[in-house]
Amino acid sequence: MRALKAIIRYLLRILLTPFRYLFKRRNGVCASVVRHELPNDAFLGLVSEKLAEGHTAVIWVKGYSMRPFIEFGRDKVKLASAPTYQVGDAVLAEIEAGHYVLHRIIDKEGDKLTLQGDGNVRGVEYCTTSNVKGVVIEYIRPKRTLSADDPGLKRNIRIWRTLRPIRRYLLFIYKAVV
Amino acid sequence: MKINEGFELRTVCGENVIVAYGRKNIDFSKVISLNESAAYLWNAVIGKEFTCQDLADLLCKEYEVDAQTALNDVIQMVDSWKEVGLVSD
Repeated sequence: MRALKAIIRYLLRILLTPFRYLFKRRNGVCASVVRHELPNDAFLGLVSEKLAEGHTAVIWVKGYSMRPFIEFGRDKVKLASAPTYQVGDAVLAEIEAGHYVLHRIIDKEGDKLTLQGDGNVRGVEYCTTSNVKGVVIEYIRPKRTLSADDPGLKRNIRIWRTLRPIRRYLLFIYKAVV
Repeated sequence: MKINEGFELRTVCGENVIVAYGRKNIDFSKVISLNESAAYLWNAVIGKEFTCQDLADLLCKEYEVDAQTALNDVIQMVDSWKEVGLVSD
Protein backbone atom coordinates (compact mmCIF):
# COMPACT_ATOMS: atom_id res chain seq x y z
CA MET A 1 0.00 0.00 0.00
CA ARG A 2 2.79 2.38 0.96
CA ALA A 3 4.76 1.54 -2.16
CA LEU A 4 1.67 2.05 -4.30
CA LYS A 5 1.14 5.46 -2.72
CA ALA A 6 4.74 6.42 -3.42
CA ILE A 7 4.42 5.33 -7.05
CA ILE A 8 1.18 7.30 -7.50
CA ARG A 9 2.79 10.36 -5.90
CA TYR A 10 5.81 10.04 -8.17
CA LEU A 11 3.63 9.78 -11.28
CA LEU A 12 1.52 12.72 -10.10
CA ARG A 13 4.63 14.80 -9.57
CA ILE A 14 5.71 14.20 -13.17
CA LEU A 15 2.20 14.80 -14.46
CA LEU A 16 1.78 17.98 -12.46
CA THR A 17 5.18 19.51 -13.19
CA PRO A 18 3.74 22.39 -15.28
CA PHE A 19 1.33 23.22 -12.45
CA ARG A 20 4.15 23.10 -9.97
CA TYR A 21 6.05 25.64 -12.03
CA LEU A 22 2.99 27.90 -12.29
CA PHE A 23 2.28 27.57 -8.58
CA LYS A 24 5.82 28.54 -7.64
CA ARG A 25 5.82 31.45 -10.06
CA ARG A 26 2.59 32.75 -8.57
CA ASN A 27 3.40 32.39 -4.90
CA GLY A 28 7.19 32.44 -4.95
CA VAL A 29 9.57 30.29 -3.00
CA CYS A 30 11.48 31.13 0.10
CA ALA A 31 15.02 31.49 -1.25
CA SER A 32 16.94 31.38 1.95
CA VAL A 33 15.37 29.87 4.99
CA VAL A 34 17.25 31.99 7.46
CA ARG A 35 14.94 32.50 10.32
CA HIS A 36 14.80 32.55 13.99
CA GLU A 37 12.71 29.81 15.46
CA LEU A 38 11.99 30.00 19.12
CA PRO A 39 10.14 27.22 20.90
CA ASN A 40 6.64 27.76 19.66
CA ASP A 41 4.52 28.07 22.76
CA ALA A 42 6.71 30.44 24.77
CA PHE A 43 7.20 32.55 21.71
CA LEU A 44 3.49 32.65 20.89
CA GLY A 45 2.85 33.70 24.49
CA LEU A 46 4.91 36.81 23.79
CA VAL A 47 3.08 37.31 20.49
CA SER A 48 -0.34 37.11 22.22
CA GLU A 49 0.81 39.56 24.85
CA LYS A 50 1.74 42.07 22.14
CA LEU A 51 -1.53 41.44 20.28
CA ALA A 52 -3.46 42.17 23.47
CA GLU A 53 -1.59 45.49 23.72
CA GLY A 54 -3.04 46.42 20.33
CA HIS A 55 -0.08 45.64 18.10
CA THR A 56 -0.25 43.59 14.96
CA ALA A 57 2.33 40.82 14.66
CA VAL A 58 4.01 39.06 11.77
CA ILE A 59 5.08 35.48 12.44
CA TRP A 60 6.38 32.50 10.52
CA VAL A 61 3.97 29.61 10.65
CA LYS A 62 5.18 26.21 11.79
CA GLY A 63 3.81 22.91 10.57
CA TYR A 64 1.66 21.76 7.70
CA SER A 65 -1.79 21.86 9.29
CA MET A 66 -2.95 24.94 7.36
CA ARG A 67 -2.20 23.59 3.91
CA PRO A 68 -3.01 24.65 1.21
CA PHE A 69 -3.54 28.23 2.38
CA ILE A 70 -0.45 28.59 4.54
CA GLU A 71 2.70 26.73 3.54
CA PHE A 72 5.35 25.97 6.17
CA GLY A 73 8.75 27.46 5.34
CA ARG A 74 7.28 29.77 2.74
CA ASP A 75 4.53 31.85 4.31
CA LYS A 76 4.20 34.33 7.11
CA VAL A 77 0.96 35.70 8.52
CA LYS A 78 0.05 39.03 10.04
CA LEU A 79 -2.14 38.75 13.13
CA ALA A 80 -4.30 41.28 14.94
CA SER A 81 -6.71 40.97 17.82
CA ALA A 82 -10.34 41.59 16.93
CA PRO A 83 -13.50 42.24 18.92
CA THR A 84 -15.33 39.29 17.35
CA TYR A 85 -14.36 36.25 15.35
CA GLN A 86 -16.32 34.60 12.55
CA VAL A 87 -16.51 31.16 11.00
CA GLY A 88 -13.83 31.10 8.30
CA ASP A 89 -11.31 33.19 10.25
CA ALA A 90 -7.87 31.67 10.79
CA VAL A 91 -7.07 32.40 14.42
CA LEU A 92 -4.27 32.00 16.94
CA ALA A 93 -5.87 30.31 19.93
CA GLU A 94 -4.54 29.08 23.26
CA ILE A 95 -6.38 25.76 23.34
CA GLU A 96 -4.74 24.62 26.57
CA ALA A 97 -2.76 26.69 29.05
CA GLY A 98 0.43 27.61 27.20
CA HIS A 99 -0.40 25.61 24.10
CA TYR A 100 -1.26 27.48 20.91
CA VAL A 101 -2.60 26.58 17.49
CA LEU A 102 -3.20 28.63 14.38
CA HIS A 103 -6.28 27.04 12.86
CA ARG A 104 -9.52 28.06 11.21
CA ILE A 105 -12.88 28.50 12.93
CA ILE A 106 -15.25 25.98 11.35
CA ASP A 107 -18.15 26.32 13.77
CA LYS A 108 -19.37 28.89 16.25
CA GLU A 109 -22.12 28.60 18.83
CA GLY A 110 -22.31 31.59 21.12
CA ASP A 111 -18.77 31.93 22.38
CA LYS A 112 -17.92 28.26 21.81
CA LEU A 113 -15.68 27.69 18.82
CA THR A 114 -14.63 24.63 16.86
CA LEU A 115 -11.29 24.93 15.09
CA GLN A 116 -9.71 22.81 12.40
CA GLY A 117 -6.52 23.18 10.38
CA ASP A 118 -7.17 23.51 6.64
CA GLY A 119 -4.73 20.67 6.11
CA ASN A 120 -6.25 18.41 8.77
CA VAL A 121 -8.60 15.67 7.73
CA ARG A 122 -10.10 14.70 11.07
CA GLY A 123 -8.83 16.41 14.22
CA VAL A 124 -10.64 19.46 15.56
CA GLU A 125 -10.06 21.64 18.61
CA TYR A 126 -12.63 23.23 20.88
CA CYS A 127 -12.22 26.52 22.67
CA THR A 128 -14.04 29.73 23.49
CA THR A 129 -13.65 33.21 22.05
CA SER A 130 -11.68 34.20 25.16
CA ASN A 131 -8.96 31.70 24.11
CA VAL A 132 -8.52 33.43 20.76
CA LYS A 133 -5.55 35.79 20.79
CA GLY A 134 -5.64 37.06 17.25
CA VAL A 135 -6.93 36.60 13.75
CA VAL A 136 -4.94 36.34 10.51
CA ILE A 137 -5.40 39.59 8.58
CA GLU A 138 -2.75 38.97 5.93
CA TYR A 139 -1.24 35.93 4.26
CA ILE A 140 2.33 36.89 3.36
CA ARG A 141 3.90 34.80 0.60
CA PRO A 142 7.32 35.53 -0.89
CA LYS A 143 5.82 37.00 -4.04
CA ARG A 144 2.52 38.41 -2.89
CA THR A 145 0.59 39.36 0.18
CA LEU A 146 -3.08 38.47 0.36
CA SER A 147 -5.47 40.27 2.65
CA ALA A 148 -7.78 37.97 4.59
CA ASP A 149 -10.63 39.98 3.03
CA ASP A 150 -9.51 39.13 -0.49
CA PRO A 151 -12.70 37.90 -2.25
CA GLY A 152 -10.83 35.26 -4.26
CA LEU A 153 -9.17 33.88 -1.16
CA LYS A 154 -12.46 33.88 0.78
CA ARG A 155 -14.13 31.99 -2.05
CA ASN A 156 -11.32 29.43 -2.14
CA ILE A 157 -11.57 28.93 1.60
CA ARG A 158 -15.33 28.37 1.31
CA ILE A 159 -14.83 25.88 -1.54
CA TRP A 160 -12.12 24.10 0.46
CA ARG A 161 -14.56 23.73 3.37
CA THR A 162 -17.27 22.19 1.24
CA LEU A 163 -14.72 19.75 -0.18
CA ARG A 164 -13.91 18.41 3.28
CA PRO A 165 -15.12 14.87 2.46
CA ILE A 166 -12.49 14.55 -0.28
CA ARG A 167 -9.87 16.73 1.41
CA ARG A 168 -7.59 13.76 1.97
CA TYR A 169 -7.27 13.15 -1.79
CA LEU A 170 -6.93 16.83 -2.64
CA LEU A 171 -4.11 17.16 -0.11
CA PHE A 172 -2.42 14.15 -1.67
CA ILE A 173 -2.48 15.91 -5.04
CA TYR A 174 -1.44 19.21 -3.47
CA LYS A 175 1.62 17.56 -1.90
CA ALA A 176 2.63 16.37 -5.35
CA VAL A 177 2.46 19.96 -6.62
CA VAL A 178 4.39 21.82 -3.90
CA MET B 1 26.30 56.51 20.30
CA LYS B 2 23.04 55.38 21.85
CA ILE B 3 20.60 52.48 21.67
CA ASN B 4 17.59 53.62 19.66
CA GLU B 5 14.26 53.89 21.37
CA GLY B 6 11.55 51.37 20.64
CA PHE B 7 13.42 48.17 21.47
CA GLU B 8 12.98 45.91 24.43
CA LEU B 9 15.18 43.01 25.52
CA ARG B 10 13.11 40.02 26.59
CA THR B 11 14.02 36.55 27.75
CA VAL B 12 11.94 33.85 26.09
CA CYS B 13 12.80 30.27 26.97
CA GLY B 14 16.28 31.25 28.09
CA GLU B 15 16.97 33.19 24.90
CA ASN B 16 17.57 36.92 24.87
CA VAL B 17 15.50 38.45 22.11
CA ILE B 18 15.01 42.04 21.08
CA VAL B 19 11.43 43.01 20.39
CA ALA B 20 10.50 46.29 18.77
CA TYR B 21 7.67 47.94 20.66
CA GLY B 22 5.87 51.21 20.18
CA ARG B 23 5.33 50.38 16.56
CA LYS B 24 1.95 49.26 15.32
CA ASN B 25 3.30 46.13 13.71
CA ILE B 26 5.88 43.88 15.33
CA ASP B 27 7.71 41.64 12.92
CA PHE B 28 8.46 38.48 14.89
CA SER B 29 9.82 36.85 11.76
CA LYS B 30 12.87 39.06 12.13
CA VAL B 31 13.50 38.70 15.82
CA ILE B 32 17.07 39.54 16.83
CA SER B 33 18.63 37.35 19.46
CA LEU B 34 21.57 38.34 21.64
CA ASN B 35 24.00 36.01 23.34
CA GLU B 36 24.70 36.35 27.03
CA SER B 37 27.54 38.87 26.78
CA ALA B 38 25.71 41.02 24.23
CA ALA B 39 22.63 41.03 26.48
CA TYR B 40 24.85 42.06 29.41
CA LEU B 41 26.23 44.98 27.39
CA TRP B 42 22.74 45.93 26.21
CA ASN B 43 21.43 46.12 29.77
CA ALA B 44 24.50 48.03 30.93
CA VAL B 45 24.20 50.84 28.40
CA ILE B 46 20.51 51.09 27.61
CA GLY B 47 19.36 54.70 27.81
CA LYS B 48 22.94 55.98 28.05
CA GLU B 49 25.49 57.47 25.68
CA PHE B 50 28.42 55.12 25.12
CA THR B 51 31.44 54.45 22.94
CA CYS B 52 32.92 51.17 21.73
CA GLN B 53 35.67 51.65 24.31
CA ASP B 54 33.04 51.83 27.11
CA LEU B 55 31.57 48.52 25.94
CA ALA B 56 35.02 46.93 25.71
CA ASP B 57 35.79 48.10 29.28
CA LEU B 58 32.52 46.60 30.49
CA LEU B 59 33.37 43.31 28.79
CA CYS B 60 36.81 43.23 30.40
CA LYS B 61 35.27 43.91 33.79
CA GLU B 62 32.77 41.03 33.52
CA TYR B 63 34.65 38.45 31.45
CA GLU B 64 38.23 37.28 31.34
CA VAL B 65 39.28 38.74 28.04
CA ASP B 66 42.15 40.96 26.94
CA ALA B 67 41.40 44.56 26.03
CA GLN B 68 42.21 44.28 22.33
CA THR B 69 40.06 41.18 21.73
CA ALA B 70 37.22 42.79 23.64
CA LEU B 71 37.45 45.94 21.56
CA ASN B 72 37.53 44.00 18.28
CA ASP B 73 34.49 41.96 19.30
CA VAL B 74 32.63 45.06 20.41
CA ILE B 75 33.32 46.87 17.13
CA GLN B 76 32.00 43.89 15.21
CA MET B 77 28.91 43.68 17.40
CA VAL B 78 28.19 47.41 17.18
CA ASP B 79 28.47 47.22 13.38
CA SER B 80 25.84 44.50 13.27
CA TRP B 81 23.63 46.45 15.70
CA LYS B 82 23.94 49.52 13.48
CA GLU B 83 23.13 47.46 10.42
CA VAL B 84 19.78 46.41 11.86
CA GLY B 85 19.06 49.84 13.30
CA LEU B 86 19.43 49.09 17.00
CA VAL B 87 21.94 51.87 17.66
CA SER B 88 22.79 55.21 16.10
CA ASP B 89 25.60 57.74 16.54
